[in-house]
Amino acid sequence: MSTVQTSMPVPAAVADTPSLWMRLRTNRNWIALWFMLPAAAFLILFLAYPLFLGVWMSFTDERIGRTGVFVGLENYQWLWDDSIFWLAVFNTLLYTIVASAIKFAVGLYLALLLNRHMPFKALIRSVVLIPFIVPTVLSAIAFWWIYDAQFSIISWSLIRLGVIDHNMARGSVIFANIWRGVPFVAITLLAGLQTVSPSLYEAATLDGATNWQRFRFITYPLLTPIIAVVMTFSVLFTFTDFQLVWALTRGGPVNATHLMATLSYQRGIISGRLGEGAAIATAMIPFLAAAIAISWFGMQRRKWQQGSNND
Amino acid sequence: MTDSALPSKAPAAAQSDDSEGMSFLESLPRRVVTLYLPLFVILVVLLFPFYWMALTSIKPDEQLIDMDRYNPFWVVHPTFKHISKLLFETQYPRWLWNTMYVAVGATTLSIIASVLAAYAIVRLRFRGAEAVGVLIFFAYLVPPSILFISQLSLILVYPTLLIPFSTWLLMGYFKTIPYELEECALIDGASRWQILVKIVIPLAVPGLISAFIFSFTLCWNEFIYALTFLQSTPNKTVPVAIVNEFVDGDIYKWGSLMAGALVGSLPLVILYAFFVEHYVSAMTGAVKE
Repeated sequence: MSTVQTSMPVPAAVADTPSLWMRLRTNRNWIALWFMLPAAAFLILFLAYPLFLGVWMSFTDERIGRTGVFVGLENYQWLWDDSIFWLAVFNTLLYTIVASAIKFAVGLYLALLLNRHMPFKALIRSVVLIPFIVPTVLSAIAFWWIYDAQFSIISWSLIRLGVIDHNMARGSVIFANIWRGVPFVAITLLAGLQTVSPSLYEAATLDGATNWQRFRFITYPLLTPIIAVVMTFSVLFTFTDFQLVWALTRGGPVNATHLMATLSYQRGIISGRLGEGAAIATAMIPFLAAAIAISWFGMQRRKWQQGSNND
Repeated sequence: MTDSALPSKAPAAAQSDDSEGMSFLESLPRRVVTLYLPLFVILVVLLFPFYWMALTSIKPDEQLIDMDRYNPFWVVHPTFKHISKLLFETQYPRWLWNTMYVAVGATTLSIIASVLAAYAIVRLRFRGAEAVGVLIFFAYLVPPSILFISQLSLILVYPTLLIPFSTWLLMGYFKTIPYELEECALIDGASRWQILVKIVIPLAVPGLISAFIFSFTLCWNEFIYALTFLQSTPNKTVPVAIVNEFVDGDIYKWGSLMAGALVGSLPLVILYAFFVEHYVSAMTGAVKE
Protein backbone atom coordinates (compact mmCIF):
# COMPACT_ATOMS: atom_id res chain seq x y z
CA MET A 1 0.00 0.00 0.00
CA SER A 2 2.51 2.48 1.13
CA THR A 3 4.68 3.37 -1.73
CA VAL A 4 7.65 5.52 -1.00
CA GLN A 5 8.56 8.26 -3.37
CA THR A 6 12.17 9.01 -2.95
CA SER A 7 13.23 9.44 -6.54
CA MET A 8 14.52 12.98 -6.69
CA PRO A 9 17.58 13.42 -4.51
CA VAL A 10 17.66 16.74 -2.76
CA PRO A 11 20.70 18.78 -3.85
CA ALA A 12 23.21 18.30 -1.10
CA ALA A 13 24.20 21.59 0.47
CA VAL A 14 27.70 20.47 1.24
CA ALA A 15 30.58 22.55 -0.06
CA ASP A 16 32.74 20.00 -1.85
CA THR A 17 30.81 17.47 -3.90
CA PRO A 18 30.67 14.23 -1.89
CA SER A 19 30.90 10.77 -3.36
CA LEU A 20 27.78 8.91 -4.37
CA TRP A 21 28.12 6.61 -1.37
CA MET A 22 28.31 9.58 0.98
CA ARG A 23 25.26 11.10 -0.65
CA LEU A 24 23.35 7.85 -0.27
CA ARG A 25 24.33 7.65 3.37
CA THR A 26 23.44 11.17 4.35
CA ASN A 27 20.53 12.09 2.10
CA ARG A 28 17.49 11.76 4.26
CA ASN A 29 15.27 10.65 1.42
CA TRP A 30 17.52 7.69 0.77
CA ILE A 31 17.82 6.82 4.43
CA ALA A 32 14.08 7.03 4.71
CA LEU A 33 13.74 4.63 1.82
CA TRP A 34 15.79 2.02 3.66
CA PHE A 35 13.86 2.60 6.85
CA MET A 36 10.53 2.27 5.10
CA LEU A 37 11.54 -0.78 3.11
CA PRO A 38 10.53 -3.61 5.51
CA ALA A 39 7.08 -2.21 6.22
CA ALA A 40 6.48 -1.31 2.60
CA ALA A 41 7.64 -4.72 1.40
CA PHE A 42 5.29 -6.51 3.77
CA LEU A 43 2.33 -4.38 2.90
CA ILE A 44 2.89 -4.52 -0.84
CA LEU A 45 3.69 -8.24 -1.03
CA PHE A 46 1.09 -9.53 1.37
CA LEU A 47 -1.62 -6.90 1.19
CA ALA A 48 -1.57 -5.01 -2.07
CA TYR A 49 -0.78 -8.04 -4.20
CA PRO A 50 -3.47 -10.33 -2.70
CA LEU A 51 -5.88 -7.42 -2.90
CA PHE A 52 -5.15 -7.03 -6.57
CA LEU A 53 -5.50 -10.78 -7.02
CA GLY A 54 -8.81 -10.79 -5.17
CA VAL A 55 -10.26 -7.95 -7.19
CA TRP A 56 -9.15 -9.64 -10.38
CA MET A 57 -10.69 -12.91 -9.23
CA SER A 58 -14.02 -11.18 -8.74
CA PHE A 59 -14.13 -10.67 -12.52
CA THR A 60 -13.58 -14.37 -13.23
CA ASP A 61 -15.58 -17.51 -12.60
CA GLU A 62 -12.78 -19.21 -10.73
CA ARG A 63 -13.60 -22.13 -8.49
CA ILE A 64 -11.43 -24.07 -6.10
CA GLY A 65 -9.22 -26.38 -8.12
CA ARG A 66 -9.92 -24.75 -11.46
CA THR A 67 -8.62 -21.49 -12.86
CA GLY A 68 -11.32 -19.18 -14.11
CA VAL A 69 -11.86 -17.21 -17.24
CA PHE A 70 -12.65 -13.52 -17.38
CA VAL A 71 -16.40 -12.99 -17.20
CA GLY A 72 -16.54 -9.24 -16.73
CA LEU A 73 -19.21 -8.00 -14.37
CA GLU A 74 -21.20 -11.22 -14.36
CA ASN A 75 -20.50 -11.97 -10.70
CA TYR A 76 -21.69 -8.52 -9.75
CA GLN A 77 -24.83 -8.88 -11.87
CA TRP A 78 -25.57 -12.09 -10.06
CA LEU A 79 -25.11 -10.36 -6.73
CA TRP A 80 -27.29 -7.45 -7.77
CA ASP A 81 -30.24 -9.84 -8.24
CA ASP A 82 -29.40 -11.90 -5.20
CA SER A 83 -31.71 -11.17 -2.29
CA ILE A 84 -29.40 -12.96 0.15
CA PHE A 85 -26.58 -10.60 -0.78
CA TRP A 86 -28.78 -7.56 -0.11
CA LEU A 87 -29.86 -9.09 3.15
CA ALA A 88 -26.18 -9.45 4.05
CA VAL A 89 -25.54 -5.81 3.13
CA PHE A 90 -28.46 -4.74 5.27
CA ASN A 91 -27.27 -6.91 8.16
CA THR A 92 -23.74 -5.59 7.91
CA LEU A 93 -24.88 -1.98 7.96
CA LEU A 94 -27.29 -2.61 10.82
CA TYR A 95 -24.63 -4.54 12.73
CA THR A 96 -21.98 -1.88 12.20
CA ILE A 97 -24.14 1.14 12.97
CA VAL A 98 -25.94 -0.23 16.01
CA ALA A 99 -22.90 -1.95 17.50
CA SER A 100 -20.56 1.01 16.92
CA ALA A 101 -23.00 3.55 18.32
CA ILE A 102 -23.61 1.56 21.48
CA LYS A 103 -19.93 0.69 21.85
CA PHE A 104 -19.13 4.37 21.66
CA ALA A 105 -21.75 5.42 24.17
CA VAL A 106 -20.99 2.70 26.71
CA GLY A 107 -17.24 2.97 26.11
CA LEU A 108 -17.24 6.72 26.68
CA TYR A 109 -19.33 6.35 29.81
CA LEU A 110 -17.03 3.63 31.12
CA ALA A 111 -13.96 5.71 30.31
CA LEU A 112 -15.38 8.66 32.27
CA LEU A 113 -16.04 6.35 35.20
CA LEU A 114 -12.57 4.82 35.07
CA ASN A 115 -10.96 8.22 34.85
CA ARG A 116 -12.18 9.09 38.31
CA HIS A 117 -10.24 8.60 41.46
CA MET A 118 -11.04 5.36 43.23
CA PRO A 119 -9.40 2.55 45.12
CA PHE A 120 -7.90 -0.35 43.12
CA LYS A 121 -7.86 1.78 39.97
CA ALA A 122 -5.15 -0.20 38.17
CA LEU A 123 -6.76 -3.52 39.00
CA ILE A 124 -10.17 -2.42 37.74
CA ARG A 125 -8.66 -1.09 34.55
CA SER A 126 -6.95 -4.35 33.75
CA VAL A 127 -10.08 -6.32 34.61
CA VAL A 128 -12.08 -4.21 32.16
CA LEU A 129 -9.80 -5.33 29.34
CA ILE A 130 -10.53 -9.02 29.82
CA PRO A 131 -13.26 -9.30 27.15
CA PHE A 132 -10.84 -7.74 24.69
CA ILE A 133 -8.06 -10.23 25.35
CA VAL A 134 -10.02 -13.45 25.44
CA PRO A 135 -9.83 -14.80 21.89
CA THR A 136 -12.98 -13.72 20.05
CA VAL A 137 -13.91 -17.16 18.90
CA LEU A 138 -13.64 -18.56 22.36
CA SER A 139 -15.76 -15.83 23.85
CA ALA A 140 -18.22 -16.40 21.03
CA ILE A 141 -18.43 -20.01 22.10
CA ALA A 142 -19.08 -18.91 25.65
CA PHE A 143 -21.91 -16.75 24.35
CA TRP A 144 -23.21 -19.62 22.30
CA TRP A 145 -23.39 -21.73 25.40
CA ILE A 146 -25.15 -18.88 27.13
CA TYR A 147 -27.63 -18.40 24.29
CA ASP A 148 -28.04 -22.10 23.59
CA ALA A 149 -31.73 -22.80 23.27
CA GLN A 150 -31.75 -26.08 25.08
CA PHE A 151 -29.47 -25.68 28.05
CA SER A 152 -29.23 -21.94 28.10
CA ILE A 153 -29.09 -20.08 31.36
CA ILE A 154 -31.02 -17.30 29.70
CA SER A 155 -33.89 -19.59 28.93
CA TRP A 156 -33.37 -21.17 32.30
CA SER A 157 -33.72 -17.76 33.92
CA LEU A 158 -36.55 -16.46 31.76
CA ILE A 159 -38.23 -19.86 31.19
CA ARG A 160 -38.45 -19.68 27.42
CA LEU A 161 -39.50 -16.22 26.32
CA GLY A 162 -40.33 -17.67 22.93
CA VAL A 163 -38.72 -19.32 19.96
CA ILE A 164 -35.53 -17.62 18.84
CA ASP A 165 -36.58 -15.51 15.87
CA HIS A 166 -34.52 -13.49 13.44
CA ASN A 167 -34.33 -10.31 15.40
CA MET A 168 -33.36 -12.12 18.52
CA ALA A 169 -30.53 -13.82 16.66
CA ARG A 170 -29.37 -10.47 15.31
CA GLY A 171 -29.67 -8.93 18.74
CA SER A 172 -27.58 -11.67 20.29
CA VAL A 173 -24.82 -11.27 17.75
CA ILE A 174 -24.80 -7.50 18.15
CA PHE A 175 -24.73 -7.81 21.91
CA ALA A 176 -21.76 -10.16 21.78
CA ASN A 177 -19.93 -7.73 19.53
CA ILE A 178 -20.64 -4.82 21.85
CA TRP A 179 -19.52 -6.83 24.84
CA ARG A 180 -16.24 -7.50 23.14
CA GLY A 181 -15.68 -4.03 21.72
CA VAL A 182 -16.46 -1.84 24.73
CA PRO A 183 -13.16 -2.43 26.59
CA PHE A 184 -11.02 -1.34 23.66
CA VAL A 185 -13.06 1.84 23.16
CA ALA A 186 -13.09 2.56 26.88
CA ILE A 187 -9.35 2.08 27.47
CA THR A 188 -8.41 4.12 24.41
CA LEU A 189 -10.76 6.96 25.38
CA LEU A 190 -9.42 6.74 28.92
CA ALA A 191 -5.96 7.37 27.53
CA GLY A 192 -7.36 10.45 25.79
CA LEU A 193 -9.09 11.65 28.95
CA GLN A 194 -5.83 11.55 30.86
CA THR A 195 -4.37 14.17 28.57
CA VAL A 196 -7.07 16.66 29.55
CA SER A 197 -5.67 18.99 32.16
CA PRO A 198 -7.65 19.03 35.45
CA SER A 199 -7.10 22.78 35.73
CA LEU A 200 -9.57 23.29 32.89
CA TYR A 201 -12.29 21.62 34.94
CA GLU A 202 -11.34 23.64 38.00
CA ALA A 203 -11.54 26.87 36.05
CA ALA A 204 -14.90 25.89 34.58
CA THR A 205 -16.23 24.94 38.00
CA LEU A 206 -15.21 28.31 39.39
CA ASP A 207 -17.09 29.92 36.52
CA GLY A 208 -20.15 27.95 37.57
CA ALA A 209 -20.32 25.37 34.80
CA THR A 210 -22.58 22.40 35.34
CA ASN A 211 -21.48 18.79 34.89
CA TRP A 212 -23.04 18.63 31.48
CA GLN A 213 -21.43 21.91 30.40
CA ARG A 214 -18.04 20.71 31.54
CA PHE A 215 -18.47 17.56 29.52
CA ARG A 216 -19.86 19.32 26.47
CA PHE A 217 -17.40 22.21 26.29
CA ILE A 218 -14.20 20.74 27.73
CA THR A 219 -14.13 16.96 27.61
CA TYR A 220 -15.84 16.44 24.29
CA PRO A 221 -13.90 18.97 22.17
CA LEU A 222 -10.55 17.85 23.57
CA LEU A 223 -11.48 14.25 23.01
CA THR A 224 -12.60 14.67 19.40
CA PRO A 225 -9.35 13.48 17.79
CA ILE A 226 -9.11 10.28 19.77
CA ILE A 227 -12.81 9.68 19.23
CA ALA A 228 -12.21 9.93 15.49
CA VAL A 229 -9.38 7.39 15.68
CA VAL A 230 -11.07 4.92 17.94
CA MET A 231 -14.36 5.06 16.08
CA THR A 232 -12.58 4.48 12.77
CA PHE A 233 -10.97 1.36 14.14
CA SER A 234 -14.19 0.27 15.75
CA VAL A 235 -16.23 0.76 12.57
CA LEU A 236 -13.63 -0.92 10.37
CA PHE A 237 -13.25 -3.94 12.61
CA THR A 238 -17.00 -4.26 13.10
CA PHE A 239 -17.70 -3.96 9.41
CA THR A 240 -15.21 -6.65 8.46
CA ASP A 241 -16.10 -8.83 11.41
CA PHE A 242 -16.17 -12.47 10.61
CA GLN A 243 -15.17 -14.64 13.49
CA LEU A 244 -17.86 -13.71 15.95
CA VAL A 245 -20.75 -14.34 13.58
CA TRP A 246 -19.14 -17.41 12.11
CA ALA A 247 -18.57 -19.01 15.48
CA LEU A 248 -21.93 -17.94 16.86
CA THR A 249 -24.48 -18.56 14.09
CA ARG A 250 -22.67 -19.33 10.82
CA GLY A 251 -25.04 -16.80 9.25
CA GLY A 252 -28.20 -18.59 10.32
CA PRO A 253 -31.03 -18.90 11.07
CA VAL A 254 -32.08 -18.70 7.41
CA ASN A 255 -29.34 -16.19 6.58
CA ALA A 256 -30.72 -13.75 9.14
CA THR A 257 -27.29 -12.92 10.56
CA HIS A 258 -25.12 -13.27 7.46
CA LEU A 259 -22.67 -10.42 7.16
CA MET A 260 -20.84 -9.65 3.94
CA ALA A 261 -17.68 -11.23 5.29
CA THR A 262 -19.36 -14.47 6.32
CA LEU A 263 -21.33 -14.66 3.08
CA SER A 264 -18.13 -14.16 1.14
CA TYR A 265 -16.44 -16.94 3.08
CA GLN A 266 -19.39 -19.26 2.61
CA ARG A 267 -19.64 -18.68 -1.12
CA GLY A 268 -15.92 -18.49 -1.74
CA ILE A 269 -14.34 -21.15 0.42
CA ILE A 270 -17.13 -23.49 1.52
CA SER A 271 -19.02 -23.66 -1.78
CA GLY A 272 -15.80 -23.19 -3.71
CA ARG A 273 -17.03 -20.36 -5.95
CA LEU A 274 -13.98 -18.19 -5.42
CA GLY A 275 -15.00 -15.60 -8.00
CA GLU A 276 -18.32 -14.89 -6.33
CA GLY A 277 -16.77 -14.77 -2.87
CA ALA A 278 -14.15 -12.33 -4.10
CA ALA A 279 -16.86 -10.16 -5.64
CA ILE A 280 -18.67 -9.91 -2.29
CA ALA A 281 -15.43 -9.03 -0.54
CA THR A 282 -14.65 -6.40 -3.17
CA ALA A 283 -18.09 -4.89 -2.66
CA MET A 284 -17.06 -4.11 0.93
CA ILE A 285 -14.27 -1.78 -0.15
CA PRO A 286 -16.44 1.27 -0.99
CA PHE A 287 -18.05 1.13 2.46
CA LEU A 288 -14.67 0.91 4.17
CA ALA A 289 -13.40 3.79 2.06
CA ALA A 290 -16.36 5.90 3.17
CA ALA A 291 -15.64 5.08 6.82
CA ILE A 292 -11.98 6.05 6.46
CA ALA A 293 -12.87 9.24 4.62
CA ILE A 294 -15.24 10.35 7.37
CA SER A 295 -12.70 9.76 10.10
CA TRP A 296 -9.95 11.38 8.06
CA PHE A 297 -11.96 14.58 7.85
CA GLY A 298 -12.66 14.26 11.54
CA MET A 299 -8.93 14.27 12.25
CA GLN A 300 -8.26 17.04 9.75
CA ARG A 301 -10.60 19.41 11.50
CA ARG A 302 -8.76 18.91 14.70
CA LYS A 303 -5.46 20.03 13.25
CA TRP A 304 -6.64 23.52 12.50
CA GLN A 305 -8.52 23.63 15.76
CA GLN A 306 -5.21 23.48 17.50
CA GLY A 307 -3.53 25.66 14.94
CA SER A 308 -0.75 23.12 14.77
CA ASN A 309 1.46 22.63 11.77
CA ASN A 310 2.12 19.42 9.93
CA ASP A 311 4.59 18.06 12.38
CA MET B 1 -21.36 13.58 32.29
CA THR B 2 -20.67 11.97 35.63
CA ASP B 3 -17.85 14.13 36.67
CA SER B 4 -17.46 15.33 40.18
CA ALA B 5 -20.41 16.69 42.03
CA LEU B 6 -21.96 20.09 42.38
CA PRO B 7 -19.74 22.55 44.17
CA SER B 8 -21.89 22.52 47.23
CA LYS B 9 -20.58 21.82 50.68
CA ALA B 10 -17.91 20.36 52.93
CA PRO B 11 -14.80 22.01 51.64
CA ALA B 12 -13.49 21.63 55.18
CA ALA B 13 -12.82 17.95 54.61
CA ALA B 14 -10.39 18.87 51.90
CA GLN B 15 -7.41 19.30 54.14
CA SER B 16 -7.54 15.90 55.74
CA ASP B 17 -8.08 13.33 53.00
CA ASP B 18 -5.75 12.49 50.15
CA SER B 19 -8.26 12.89 47.34
CA GLU B 20 -7.09 14.31 44.04
CA GLY B 21 -8.28 17.46 42.33
CA MET B 22 -11.88 18.36 42.91
CA SER B 23 -13.07 15.02 44.18
CA PHE B 24 -13.35 16.44 47.70
CA LEU B 25 -16.47 18.18 46.48
CA GLU B 26 -18.26 14.86 46.30
CA SER B 27 -20.13 13.18 49.10
CA LEU B 28 -19.90 9.44 49.58
CA PRO B 29 -23.53 8.56 48.76
CA ARG B 30 -23.24 10.54 45.59
CA ARG B 31 -20.11 8.67 44.60
CA VAL B 32 -21.85 5.39 45.22
CA VAL B 33 -24.71 6.31 42.88
CA THR B 34 -22.70 7.98 40.12
CA LEU B 35 -19.53 5.91 40.20
CA TYR B 36 -19.51 2.60 42.02
CA LEU B 37 -22.96 1.40 41.06
CA PRO B 38 -22.68 1.90 37.27
CA LEU B 39 -19.13 0.62 37.32
CA PHE B 40 -20.22 -2.47 39.19
CA VAL B 41 -23.05 -3.16 36.74
CA ILE B 42 -20.79 -2.76 33.71
CA LEU B 43 -18.09 -4.93 35.24
CA VAL B 44 -20.56 -7.69 36.04
CA VAL B 45 -21.85 -7.70 32.46
CA LEU B 46 -18.33 -7.64 31.05
CA LEU B 47 -17.03 -10.40 33.26
CA PHE B 48 -20.00 -12.72 33.33
CA PRO B 49 -19.09 -14.75 30.22
CA PHE B 50 -15.62 -15.17 31.61
CA TYR B 51 -17.00 -16.41 34.89
CA TRP B 52 -19.27 -18.72 32.97
CA MET B 53 -16.30 -20.06 31.02
CA ALA B 54 -14.32 -20.74 34.17
CA LEU B 55 -17.33 -22.31 35.86
CA THR B 56 -18.11 -24.61 32.96
CA SER B 57 -14.57 -25.83 32.72
CA ILE B 58 -14.57 -27.14 36.27
CA LYS B 59 -18.10 -28.54 36.30
CA PRO B 60 -18.67 -32.28 36.19
CA ASP B 61 -20.56 -33.37 33.10
CA GLU B 62 -23.83 -34.23 34.78
CA GLN B 63 -24.13 -30.78 36.32
CA LEU B 64 -23.58 -29.14 32.95
CA ILE B 65 -26.89 -30.18 31.46
CA ASP B 66 -29.08 -30.75 34.46
CA MET B 67 -30.46 -27.37 35.34
CA ASP B 68 -33.29 -28.55 37.53
CA ARG B 69 -31.32 -30.23 40.23
CA TYR B 70 -28.21 -28.06 40.15
CA ASN B 71 -28.09 -24.31 40.15
CA PRO B 72 -26.33 -23.42 36.88
CA PHE B 73 -24.68 -20.38 38.42
CA TRP B 74 -22.68 -22.40 40.86
CA VAL B 75 -20.72 -25.63 40.95
CA VAL B 76 -21.13 -28.31 43.59
CA HIS B 77 -18.23 -30.71 43.20
CA PRO B 78 -15.60 -28.99 41.06
CA THR B 79 -13.43 -31.24 38.96
CA PHE B 80 -10.23 -30.77 37.02
CA LYS B 81 -11.16 -33.59 34.68
CA HIS B 82 -11.72 -31.35 31.66
CA ILE B 83 -8.49 -29.48 32.11
CA SER B 84 -6.35 -32.56 32.69
CA LYS B 85 -7.99 -34.28 29.74
CA LEU B 86 -7.25 -31.22 27.64
CA LEU B 87 -3.61 -31.08 28.60
CA PHE B 88 -2.74 -34.75 28.57
CA GLU B 89 -5.09 -36.46 26.14
CA THR B 90 -5.29 -33.98 23.28
CA GLN B 91 -2.75 -32.08 21.26
CA TYR B 92 -3.55 -28.95 23.19
CA PRO B 93 0.02 -28.18 24.34
CA ARG B 94 1.02 -28.43 20.71
CA TRP B 95 -1.68 -25.96 19.65
CA LEU B 96 -0.65 -23.62 22.40
CA TRP B 97 2.92 -23.82 21.19
CA ASN B 98 1.82 -23.16 17.58
CA THR B 99 -0.13 -20.11 18.60
CA MET B 100 2.72 -18.79 20.67
CA TYR B 101 5.17 -19.41 17.84
CA VAL B 102 3.05 -17.65 15.24
CA ALA B 103 2.17 -14.76 17.55
CA VAL B 104 5.71 -14.10 18.71
CA GLY B 105 7.13 -14.42 15.20
CA ALA B 106 4.59 -12.19 13.52
CA THR B 107 4.71 -9.63 16.31
CA THR B 108 8.48 -9.38 16.29
CA LEU B 109 8.59 -8.96 12.53
CA SER B 110 5.94 -6.29 12.52
CA ILE B 111 7.40 -4.37 15.46
CA ILE B 112 10.77 -4.17 13.71
CA ALA B 113 9.16 -3.00 10.49
CA SER B 114 6.93 -0.51 12.34
CA VAL B 115 9.74 1.00 14.40
CA LEU B 116 11.74 1.69 11.27
CA ALA B 117 8.75 3.03 9.36
CA ALA B 118 7.48 5.17 12.22
CA TYR B 119 10.92 6.66 12.82
CA ALA B 120 11.31 7.46 9.15
CA ILE B 121 7.90 9.10 8.94
CA VAL B 122 8.17 11.12 12.12
CA ARG B 123 11.81 12.10 12.29
CA LEU B 124 13.43 11.79 8.88
CA ARG B 125 10.69 13.91 7.31
CA PHE B 126 11.44 12.69 3.85
CA ARG B 127 9.52 13.82 0.82
CA GLY B 128 5.94 12.63 1.07
CA ALA B 129 6.33 11.45 4.66
CA GLU B 130 2.94 12.79 5.57
CA ALA B 131 1.30 11.11 2.60
CA VAL B 132 2.90 7.81 3.56
CA GLY B 133 1.65 8.21 7.12
CA VAL B 134 -1.86 8.50 5.75
CA LEU B 135 -1.43 5.72 3.20
CA ILE B 136 -0.42 3.27 5.89
CA PHE B 137 -3.76 3.84 7.49
CA PHE B 138 -5.42 2.88 4.24
CA ALA B 139 -4.21 -0.68 4.67
CA TYR B 140 -7.32 -1.19 6.76
CA LEU B 141 -9.41 -0.58 3.67
CA VAL B 142 -8.68 -4.08 2.52
CA PRO B 143 -11.36 -6.45 3.76
CA PRO B 144 -9.64 -9.41 5.44
CA SER B 145 -11.95 -11.82 3.69
CA ILE B 146 -10.48 -10.94 0.32
CA LEU B 147 -7.13 -12.32 1.35
CA PHE B 148 -8.09 -15.95 1.80
CA ILE B 149 -6.93 -16.89 -1.56
CA SER B 150 -3.24 -16.45 -1.08
CA GLN B 151 -1.85 -19.49 0.67
CA LEU B 152 0.90 -17.89 2.69
CA SER B 153 2.45 -18.63 5.97
CA LEU B 154 0.61 -16.98 8.85
CA ILE B 155 3.76 -15.36 10.15
CA LEU B 156 3.97 -13.43 6.91
CA VAL B 157 0.27 -12.53 6.65
CA TYR B 158 -0.34 -11.27 10.17
CA PRO B 159 2.12 -8.36 9.92
CA THR B 160 -0.16 -6.81 7.30
CA LEU B 161 -2.76 -6.45 10.04
CA LEU B 162 -0.29 -5.35 12.67
CA ILE B 163 2.07 -2.98 10.93
CA PRO B 164 -0.40 -0.14 10.28
CA PHE B 165 -1.63 0.06 13.85
CA SER B 166 1.82 -0.37 15.42
CA THR B 167 3.26 2.26 13.12
CA TRP B 168 0.53 4.68 14.01
CA LEU B 169 0.99 4.07 17.73
CA LEU B 170 4.77 4.40 17.56
CA MET B 171 4.54 7.53 15.42
CA GLY B 172 2.61 9.18 18.20
CA TYR B 173 5.09 7.99 20.76
CA PHE B 174 8.19 9.04 18.87
CA LYS B 175 6.78 12.53 18.52
CA THR B 176 6.89 12.92 22.30
CA ILE B 177 10.65 12.31 22.40
CA PRO B 178 12.43 15.68 22.40
CA TYR B 179 14.10 16.46 19.12
CA GLU B 180 17.02 18.12 20.93
CA LEU B 181 18.36 14.75 22.06
CA GLU B 182 18.70 13.66 18.46
CA GLU B 183 20.28 16.94 17.46
CA CYS B 184 22.93 16.53 20.14
CA ALA B 185 23.67 13.04 18.90
CA LEU B 186 23.87 14.27 15.31
CA ILE B 187 26.35 16.93 16.32
CA ASP B 188 28.41 14.30 18.09
CA GLY B 189 28.57 12.42 14.82
CA ALA B 190 26.05 9.66 15.39
CA SER B 191 24.47 8.09 12.35
CA ARG B 192 20.71 7.83 12.02
CA TRP B 193 20.90 4.17 12.82
CA GLN B 194 22.85 4.81 16.00
CA ILE B 195 20.35 7.47 17.02
CA LEU B 196 17.49 5.06 16.52
CA VAL B 197 19.09 2.18 18.38
CA LYS B 198 20.79 4.08 21.20
CA ILE B 199 18.46 6.99 21.85
CA VAL B 200 15.00 6.64 20.40
CA ILE B 201 14.33 2.97 21.10
CA PRO B 202 15.42 3.02 24.76
CA LEU B 203 13.22 6.06 25.34
CA ALA B 204 10.28 4.51 23.55
CA VAL B 205 10.16 1.27 25.53
CA PRO B 206 6.65 1.87 26.95
CA GLY B 207 5.37 2.54 23.44
CA LEU B 208 7.08 -0.59 22.16
CA ILE B 209 5.57 -2.63 24.95
CA SER B 210 2.07 -1.53 24.17
CA ALA B 211 2.53 -2.02 20.44
CA PHE B 212 3.81 -5.48 21.28
CA ILE B 213 0.84 -6.26 23.50
CA PHE B 214 -1.67 -5.05 20.94
CA SER B 215 -0.06 -7.01 18.13
CA PHE B 216 0.30 -10.10 20.24
CA THR B 217 -3.36 -9.98 21.21
CA LEU B 218 -4.43 -9.61 17.62
CA CYS B 219 -2.30 -12.58 16.54
CA TRP B 220 -3.40 -14.70 19.43
CA ASN B 221 -7.05 -14.10 18.65
CA GLU B 222 -6.89 -14.25 14.91
CA PHE B 223 -9.26 -16.77 13.44
CA ILE B 224 -10.15 -16.24 9.82
CA TYR B 225 -6.75 -16.69 8.21
CA ALA B 226 -5.86 -19.51 10.55
CA LEU B 227 -9.16 -21.21 9.73
CA THR B 228 -8.52 -20.95 6.02
CA PHE B 229 -4.85 -21.72 5.94
CA LEU B 230 -4.30 -24.39 8.55
CA GLN B 231 -5.66 -27.75 7.56
CA SER B 232 -3.77 -30.41 9.50
CA THR B 233 -4.59 -30.87 13.17
CA PRO B 234 -1.07 -30.68 14.65
CA ASN B 235 -0.44 -27.31 13.00
CA LYS B 236 -3.57 -25.56 14.20
CA THR B 237 -3.61 -22.56 16.49
CA VAL B 238 -5.67 -22.59 19.66
CA PRO B 239 -8.84 -20.79 18.48
CA VAL B 240 -9.20 -22.88 15.33
CA ALA B 241 -8.26 -26.15 16.95
CA ILE B 242 -10.72 -25.76 19.79
CA VAL B 243 -13.63 -25.00 17.51
CA ASN B 244 -12.79 -27.82 15.12
CA GLU B 245 -11.76 -30.55 17.50
CA PHE B 246 -14.25 -30.20 20.31
CA VAL B 247 -17.33 -29.65 18.19
CA ASP B 248 -18.40 -32.94 16.76
CA GLY B 249 -21.31 -32.32 14.43
CA ASP B 250 -24.06 -31.23 16.78
CA ILE B 251 -22.34 -32.40 19.92
CA TYR B 252 -20.44 -29.76 21.80
CA LYS B 253 -18.05 -30.94 24.44
CA TRP B 254 -18.74 -27.91 26.57
CA GLY B 255 -16.40 -28.81 29.38
CA SER B 256 -13.42 -29.24 27.08
CA LEU B 257 -14.37 -26.23 24.97
CA MET B 258 -14.54 -23.92 27.94
CA ALA B 259 -11.42 -25.37 29.54
CA GLY B 260 -9.58 -24.85 26.28
CA ALA B 261 -10.85 -21.31 25.99
CA LEU B 262 -9.84 -20.55 29.56
CA VAL B 263 -6.34 -21.98 29.33
CA GLY B 264 -5.88 -20.33 25.93
CA SER B 265 -6.71 -16.92 27.37
CA LEU B 266 -4.47 -17.16 30.41
CA PRO B 267 -1.19 -16.09 28.77
CA LEU B 268 -2.79 -12.86 27.58
CA VAL B 269 -4.46 -12.18 30.90
CA ILE B 270 -1.10 -12.47 32.63
CA LEU B 271 0.52 -10.25 30.02
CA TYR B 272 -2.12 -7.57 30.46
CA ALA B 273 -2.07 -7.74 34.23
CA PHE B 274 1.55 -6.64 34.14
CA PHE B 275 1.44 -4.12 31.35
CA VAL B 276 -1.94 -2.41 31.31
CA GLU B 277 -0.55 0.83 32.68
CA HIS B 278 2.06 0.90 29.92
CA TYR B 279 -0.68 0.33 27.43
CA VAL B 280 -2.71 3.26 28.66
CA SER B 281 0.28 5.57 28.89
CA ALA B 282 1.48 4.69 25.40
CA MET B 283 -1.97 5.31 24.00
CA THR B 284 -1.81 8.68 25.70
CA GLY B 285 1.44 9.39 23.91
CA ALA B 286 -0.02 8.31 20.61
CA VAL B 287 -3.07 10.41 21.17
CA LYS B 288 -1.73 13.77 22.12
CA GLU B 289 0.92 13.77 19.40
